Amino acid sequence: MILALVVVTALGFDFTNGFHDTANAMATSIATRALRPKTAVALSGILNLIGAFLSVEVALTVSNAVVRIQNPDGTPKESLTADGGTALLLIVLAGLIGGIVWNLFTWLLGLPSSSSHALFGGLVGATIAGLGWAGVNWNGNGSKLDGVVGKVILPALISPVIAGVVAAVGTWLIYKLTVGVAQRFTENGFRWGQIGSASLVSLAHGTNDAQKTMGVITLALIAAGDWTDTGNIPFWVKASCAVAIALGTYLGGWRIIRTLGKGLVEIAPPQGMAAESSSAAVILASSHLGFALSTTHVATGSILGSGVGKPGAQVRWRVAGRMVAAWLITLPAAAVVGALMWYLGSFVGGVAGAVVIFALLLVLAGAMWLRSRVTPVDHNNVNDEWDGEQPADEPRVPAGTGAA
Amino acid sequence: MSNLGFALEGAWKVLAAGLILGAGLPALFALGIRALAFGAGGDAEVNGGRPHRTGKVMAYALFAIVILGVLLGITFIVASGFGKTISFEHIVPTIVDK
Repeated sequence: MILALVVVTALGFDFTNGFHDTANAMATSIATRALRPKTAVALSGILNLIGAFLSVEVALTVSNAVVRIQNPDGTPKESLTADGGTALLLIVLAGLIGGIVWNLFTWLLGLPSSSSHALFGGLVGATIAGLGWAGVNWNGNGSKLDGVVGKVILPALISPVIAGVVAAVGTWLIYKLTVGVAQRFTENGFRWGQIGSASLVSLAHGTNDAQKTMGVITLALIAAGDWTDTGNIPFWVKASCAVAIALGTYLGGWRIIRTLGKGLVEIAPPQGMAAESSSAAVILASSHLGFALSTTHVATGSILGSGVGKPGAQVRWRVAGRMVAAWLITLPAAAVVGALMWYLGSFVGGVAGAVVIFALLLVLAGAMWLRSRVTPVDHNNVNDEWDGEQPADEPRVPAGTGAA
Repeated sequence: MSNLGFALEGAWKVLAAGLILGAGLPALFALGIRALAFGAGGDAEVNGGRPHRTGKVMAYALFAIVILGVLLGITFIVASGFGKTISFEHIVPTIVDK
């Protein structure tokens, strides 16, 4: 029963992960109208699906980076698997709920925060609540980049800067090199370049992020005694995670797409191409070097960089500041939610406790969804001007009559 | 070595690779577009001029390099999915076990 709730919640997290991160790959292509909004999210969704299926490698030890609930070979700690694994399942469930709640909340505010940070934050919080401070892997053991500091905090500080520098240099070079070329040539050419580089980001996202959820679900299965092979993932887990992230991506987090595509910088096709190439290169290079990072931080850094690199472009630093603030509190905030959920769940106890916190998640998610309907952002108005009042009586195609 | 040391060490490599691939390839692409416009001549360039065949050839050569770079990226994604990685030890990228 608890296991079923964990699996459903994990897939739910995967889904929010997808729609939270659509913006990372596609915000620029949508903003420059290289792709129609619906086409962009469909393309990104398909590439995420493919990417998720490509990840044959097992990411079972994903939680080891931040918490100590697993042995190095991926099996859960024995102390947590007594009693049918309830202790471990409750930690994982509370952690996942923390991640989802924070993902939805930042989506409501239109802020691109990191889904991996939300997941790690939720797990850290639930672990502190369940096992105490010593249950968290803060600093690793000093032999490699590890722990909350090494895998989460340092990359979050460094990666946006790297991506920003690369994108700024790229943008600057592109503008320098195409001086004197007619606009119809540059616009068209760079639109294609942009679509290609954005597709690469989507594919990389699918392989990286879906893997995390697959690892979490498999860990839960092992803890409950329903799976024993630490070298493989059940096929249904892989398939359902792939579908969940792809559906989430296709649904599109329009609020976040709007912030990234229109809020930070007015993006022209050459900038879009520079930003996405920078994202793709930084993401691939760091995963090659085993340097964990968040797609969100990289994409945001790149877009900012493309604004810095274009002569005369304006960057809305106030919006950027709000984003950075959201990044800083993502881990602790998701941790607080995760911890609260664990306390509540263990206070009620057993299966009932898990049901109660799951129900609470549904209530919170429903409330935030209802709140989002007050000021809807979808594929019809995602590209509206950022500044300036939108007159209320402006003739606009009502939602529902579009291509939906 | 502390976490900070490891992070900075990794950061330099990522920055270098990022600049070469993430800024270098787009720059080549931009050159390609410029060459294409040079090849088309006429109103493709602000200062006009006759069409040049060499421009077109250069443009496609440059685009080919960029596409090779992109293929390298895709290969890496697919390879890492199968628990492999790409080694640059012998200059020519080869797929090896992690």
